[in-house]
Amino acid sequence: MAATINLSDSERSSPNDQSVSSRSSNRSLRVAEKERRKNEAEDPFVLALKYFTDVEAGTPVYGNDDFERNLVLVEKVAYSKGLSPEAISVMLEFAMSLRMGSSPCVRVLKCLIPATVVPQEAVVRAVVWLGVGKIPISTQVLFIKWVLTVFDMIDTKDQLRAVYGFIFSYVTEENLCPFICHLLYLLTRKESVRVFRVRKLLELQSKLGRQPFLLHLLSLYKVFCPELVTLSIPSRMRSGFRNHISPWKSALIAVQKRNGLQVASSMSLAFTIKDKTNSRKRKHCHLEVPALRSVVNKEAQTEKCSSRKVVPLVQLHSFAQLLENMHHIELPAQMGSLLGSSLALQYLDCVQDESALLRLNFWLGYALHEEFLFCGDGGAIQNSEDALQFLNKLLSAHHFLQEGFSSSEAFLYKFLNVWDGSLLRPQILGLLSNIPVVPSSQIGRLLFEPLTQLFFTSSLFFKCGLVECLNNMLLKWLTWHSVYALEDDLDISLNSHTSINMTLSGFKDSVMELVNFVGQLASVGLQIEGCQSLLLSFVLDFYETVCDTFLKYGLPLVVMPPSGVFYPALFALDPVSVDRLAYIMHRYKVNLTSAKAQEKLTKQAFHISRQTFHEFNHYVVDMVSCLWNSKMFQPGMGVQLGEELLLKSKVPQYWTSFDLIHHPAFMSYAVDFHQKCWPGKKDMDLSSIKHSKPWSWYLEYLFTQGYDGLKQFVQSNISRQLTASDGQGDTQQR
Amino acid sequence: MSLLKPFSKLPGLNSANILLVENEEQFQQSLADVLVEETSVAVNVRLAKSLPLPMENDESRPRIDLVVFIINLTSELSFQSAETSLKYLDPGYFLGKVCFMVTNARNASVPTEHLDAVRKLAASLHCPLLFAEDQTPDGVTSATERLLTVLKVAASLVPTTTALYLSNLTRCTLPPDIDQPSFD
Repeated sequence: MAATINLSDSERSSPNDQSVSSRSSNRSLRVAEKERRKNEAEDPFVLALKYFTDVEAGTPVYGNDDFERNLVLVEKVAYSKGLSPEAISVMLEFAMSLRMGSSPCVRVLKCLIPATVVPQEAVVRAVVWLGVGKIPISTQVLFIKWVLTVFDMIDTKDQLRAVYGFIFSYVTEENLCPFICHLLYLLTRKESVRVFRVRKLLELQSKLGRQPFLLHLLSLYKVFCPELVTLSIPSRMRSGFRNHISPWKSALIAVQKRNGLQVASSMSLAFTIKDKTNSRKRKHCHLEVPALRSVVNKEAQTEKCSSRKVVPLVQLHSFAQLLENMHHIELPAQMGSLLGSSLALQYLDCVQDESALLRLNFWLGYALHEEFLFCGDGGAIQNSEDALQFLNKLLSAHHFLQEGFSSSEAFLYKFLNVWDGSLLRPQILGLLSNIPVVPSSQIGRLLFEPLTQLFFTSSLFFKCGLVECLNNMLLKWLTWHSVYALEDDLDISLNSHTSINMTLSGFKDSVMELVNFVGQLASVGLQIEGCQSLLLSFVLDFYETVCDTFLKYGLPLVVMPPSGVFYPALFALDPVSVDRLAYIMHRYKVNLTSAKAQEKLTKQAFHISRQTFHEFNHYVVDMVSCLWNSKMFQPGMGVQLGEELLLKSKVPQYWTSFDLIHHPAFMSYAVDFHQKCWPGKKDMDLSSIKHSKPWSWYLEYLFTQGYDGLKQFVQSNISRQLTASDGQGDTQQR
Repeated sequence: MSLLKPFSKLPGLNSANILLVENEEQFQQSLADVLVEETSVAVNVRLAKSLPLPMENDESRPRIDLVVFIINLTSELSFQSAETSLKYLDPGYFLGKVCFMVTNARNASVPTEHLDAVRKLAASLHCPLLFAEDQTPDGVTSATERLLTVLKVAASLVPTTTALYLSNLTRCTLPPDIDQPSFD
C-alpha cells in the first residue's frame, strides 16, 4: 500500500499542468513506476492499474482471471484506503469507455471511492464518454449520482462549467433529468443562464409537471436573470433535490475516517466532503460547517478560464481586498462554508445579488431539516457537541448580519411544534429572537400557539427565557424599523434580503400582536408562578422596551402593560421591581407627551388612541395615590376590596399600607431612616415620617439608595407643594 | 366496564397521584424514576399498559389526579392502544386532568399522518400535547419537569390556578399547515 502513497506524492509534487488526459496520467504513472522500481519490489496494485490502462477493447470479461484478480485488488484498496486521483482517472476511463463492455462498468463505478480529490479532467472525459458510448441508462444515472456524491472532492470546476451546455443537453433524458438538474444547480453561473435553456426547462415542466428539481433550477435561473424567467416560483419550496441513497456513502465515510488523521496532518487540498449530496443521510456531517474553499483552485486558471475575472473568496484576506473585488467574486462550492468566515459574511451583507443567499438558504434549510426534524434514529445524538456548535455558528452569523436567514425561520416554525422545550434551548431561543417580522395574520398560528402551549407547561426558567427571547425579538423588529423605514412614504422593507415588504400599519399590527401576546403570557404566568420576582424582572425588561417605542425607535405606537403586570409590579416585595415600574411609567409619560406635542405640531395622521391615555392616567393616579398620598383601596382604583372586609382584617389605617413608608418593599428603608433620623427615640412611629420635612428627607434618602426610577417618576408626575402642611402631593394629569 | 373517576375519592394531604399509560412500557419507567424524586410534594406514580385498570385493587388505589398517555409515534399500536383506553376515563378527567405525551416526533421513519392523528385526537379532547425526547437523560428530566408542572395544578396544589384554567391555555390546537405559509 505504501506504493499508492508514493504514487500520489510524486504526482502532487510534479507541476500542475499535467494529467490533462489519461495519456498524461499514463506518463506520470510510468514515471512513478520507475521511481518505485528503484526502491522496492513490484506492487500488485500498480500492476493492476496498469492492466486497466492497457487492456484492449473487446477483451472478454467472462472467464478472464486476470481481469477478475486485478479488479478485486483495486476494490480492496478502494474500500480500505480510497483511490488516489490517478487511480480514479484510470478506472473511470476504463469503465466509461466500455472497453470490456458494460458489465464491469457498474462494478467499477461502485468502487470509485476517492482518497483525497477527484481530478476534474477525469470527470470531464467521462461526461464526454456519456455521449459517445452506448452506456445503459441505469449506469448513466449511477455515474451522475457518483459525480454528485464526490462533487466537492473534484479539485476544480472550471472545465466542468465549460461543458455546461453539453451537460445541459442530457436534461431531456427523462431518467437522468433529476440528477442532471441537481448537477446543473451546482454548476450554474450567471453566464450559463440563457433564453433557450430557460425555454427548454419550461417545456420540460409542461411535460413532466411541476417537479421540484426543475423548479429549483428555474428558481436559481430566476435569481440570476429575473427578466428571462417569468414563471412565478413559490417562495418556499417543500424540499430540494431528492435524496439519493448512494452506494458510496458508507464506504466513503469509512475511508474518510481511516484517512482522517493523515489528511488533517498533511493539510492536503481541502478535505471538504461534508456536502449536502453525499451526506444526505449521514449523521454529524451536516453539522460541520465546511471549510471555505474555492471552486477554482489555482490563480493561473482563474485568469484564463473565463472571460470575466473572478476571485475566489478564499483568496481574500482583508476587508480592503473584499471591497476591491466586490463585483467579481467567485462563491465557494459549498455555501455552508460562508457561515464560518467573517469576510464571506461581510460579502453576503453588502451584495445585492440574491443567488448567494438563495444557495445558502437552500443548504441551510436542508441541513436543519435533516438534522433536527427528520432524524434517522429518533434524534438521540442531537445533544451532541456538533449540534451545539453548528447552531452557535449559525447564531453568530445571524448576529453578524443582524438578521436571520429565511430557512432558519421556516425551520423554527416547524420545530416549535415538536419541541420539548429543553432540547438546545439557548440556541433555539436565540434563533427565535432573530426571526424577521411576521405578518399579523400569521403570527398567532405560527408562533403564539406553539409558544403558549410550551410556556404554560414548562418550568419557571423556560418562562423567563421565553420572555427574554420575545424581548430580543421585539428589540430587533424595532431596530429594523428604525433603520429601514422610509420617511416619505410609509412603506418599509424590513429585511434587505427578503422581499417581504410591509406597510407601516402592517408592521404596527405585528408589533401590537407581539406586545399583547407577551402581556397575556406575563399576566397569567405571574399569576401561576405567584408573582415570582425573577419572572417579574424579565417582564419588566420587556416593558422597558415597550415604553420607549416612540422616542427610541420612532414607531408611533404606545401599548400600556395589562393590569396583570402593573399591579404585581406595584405591590412587589422587592423595591427594585417597584423602582423599575416607576421608571417605566416615567418613560411612558415622556413618550406620550412628545407624541402629543408632535401630533399638534405636524398634524400628521398618526394617532394614539384616547384609550391609551386613559389607561396611562389611571395607572399614574393609582400609583401616586398608593405610594404618595396613602389613599389605598379608594373607589375607582384598579384594586378594590370591600369596606367590611378591610375592617374585618383589623389592619389599622389600611389606606396607608402601600405608601412609600409602609409598602412592604420599602418598609425596611423607612425603619432604617427612622433610626437614623431620631436615634434616641425608643418607640418607632413610622407615620411621623409623613410630616413635611422628614418626608422630603426620606425621599432624598431613598433617592440616594439608587432608586432613580422612583426619583424620575416623582419629578415628572408630582408637583410638590412644600408649603402645604403634610407634604401631600398633587398628581399632574393630562 | 369500570370508569376511572376523578372525584370519587378524597385527595391525600400534600400528595399528587399520576397515572402513566403506555403500551410499550418503556418510557414510563424512566419517567417514574425521576418523578418520585420530587421533594416538594409526595408524588405517587402508577403505571399501566392500558385502561381499564384491574378491579381487584380498586379500593386501595388513590385518587388519580392526572392521566398521561404516552404515545410512541413510531408504533401504530401505541396510538391505537391509547385511543381505546380513553373510553375508560370519566368525562370529568377531560377538564384538565388528561395529557398526551409524544415521543419520537422528530424521527425520520414516522409518517406525518401519525403526528397529525395524535394532534387531532388531543385537540378534539381539548387536552395538552407534550413532546418528549425519551432517549437522552436531559430529555427525560425536562419531560418530568413539565409533567410535574401540569400535575401540581391538576392535583390542586397551586392555589392561584385550576386544572381547567391551565388546560384552557395549554390545550392542543389543530395542526397548522406550515409547509406553505402564504405570505401575501
